[in-house]
Amino acid sequence: MDIKEYISSGIIETYVMGLCTPAEEQEMEQLRLRYPELDTAVITFEEEMEKNLMQQSTLPGDATDKRILTALNEMGKSAAPVIPVQYPKRNWLNPFAVAASVLLLLSAGLNFYLYRQTKKLPVISNNNTLPPGDYEVLKNPAITPVAMYGVGTHIICRCTMFWDKKTGKMYLMIHHLPQSSAARDYQMWATVDGKPVNIGIVQDDIRGRFIELNNVPPGATAFSVTLEKAGGTTTPTIAETYLEGKI
Amino acid sequence: MAFTRTYTEAELLTGLRQYNNAAFHYLYENYRGALYNVILQLIPDKEIASDVLQEVFITIWKQIDKYDETKGKLFTWMLRLTRNGAINKLRSKIYKSQAKNESLDNYVTVIEKNQPEPATVNLIGLRRQVHQLREDYKNVIELSYYNGFTQEEIANALNIPLGTVKTRLRNALMELRKQFV
Repeated sequence: MDIKEYISSGIIETYVMGLCTPAEEQEMEQLRLRYPELDTAVITFEEEMEKNLMQQSTLPGDATDKRILTALNEMGKSAAPVIPVQYPKRNWLNPFAVAASVLLLLSAGLNFYLYRQTKKLPVISNNNTLPPGDYEVLKNPAITPVAMYGVGTHIICRCTMFWDKKTGKMYLMIHHLPQSSAARDYQMWATVDGKPVNIGIVQDDIRGRFIELNNVPPGATAFSVTLEKAGGTTTPTIAETYLEGKI
Repeated sequence: MAFTRTYTEAELLTGLRQYNNAAFHYLYENYRGALYNVILQLIPDKEIASDVLQEVFITIWKQIDKYDETKGKLFTWMLRLTRNGAINKLRSKIYKSQAKNESLDNYVTVIEKNQPEPATVNLIGLRRQVHQLREDYKNVIELSYYNGFTQEEIANALNIPLGTVKTRLRNALMELRKQFV
């Protein structure tokens, strides 16, 4: 690789401004580690940009300053840890489990209008983390990784699904997804026959871990993660799609 | 507001990671003007822009533990959060009901018909420099940086190869950089 040519190609500017494709970003992150001159060139542009933008300042006004500083103070007071919600492990391939799921779905459908406020969606939580030794299953040749990429402005988001073709089991690893606010939850969806099917609400603390998904519907051809109101929803908000991937 | 103490970037980061109020106040005091200016370039409405500014600083507070200084400077990271915040707001239903819709289709129609662009923007700062670029460079920067569309989306919408989008984007940014100095 001609690193000088790469440095002067405009990729540095594109990368620092956050306008790269995920593939370009990944390449840049790897190359920076290998070529110190590239790393220096990136930092130089970051400094230049900071200096330039710091000179173009508009103050938002005293009222806004006061409001935001108060909000930041409040954040300091109300920092509370997220507690993962328990969700029992289920194997959806088991015919009884499938039958039970169908019954549950039917019942959920019937109850939905009556108990709209209290309905709880399944949660993808830490409870489903694979024990360290079980990571071996991921080396199984039957496992196909399905990369999910950030959509639109969320290009820095990344996660991978691992699909075991033999057993039909699915595993998830979230590499990067911004923390959701208290009022919002990420929700994962499968696409079956072109229609979205809920997989579950993504708990904040499962990042960087292998999670076994118990709730993936058979026949899924694609997956996505959307940001929804806290507690999830029954139909995805497409405009709030953070991650997408196809099998 | 007067802050007597100043921080080096490393000290500031330590304070932020401990959720130290004084550090967050300093961060706000020091960067609000630049970040607010960035938002105003995307969202000229001052009231909405100051809401975005608040959301951005709350996001910084919430995500400071995710910031990785080996991948970029604090300012670069905050700039990204700021632009994302502004673009999310541009795309939100609330904003769309309040302001003229700057969707990709809308923008492409404008480009194709060679009309003046959506006149919602009172051009300031960097964006004014962008508008002095040649037409094809200006269009890719407008669509990517100011409207948050991916390179693939731009290629599809303008019906040009992805490679062309890449080249134009890179050349346009290098052109802009020359004007920095």
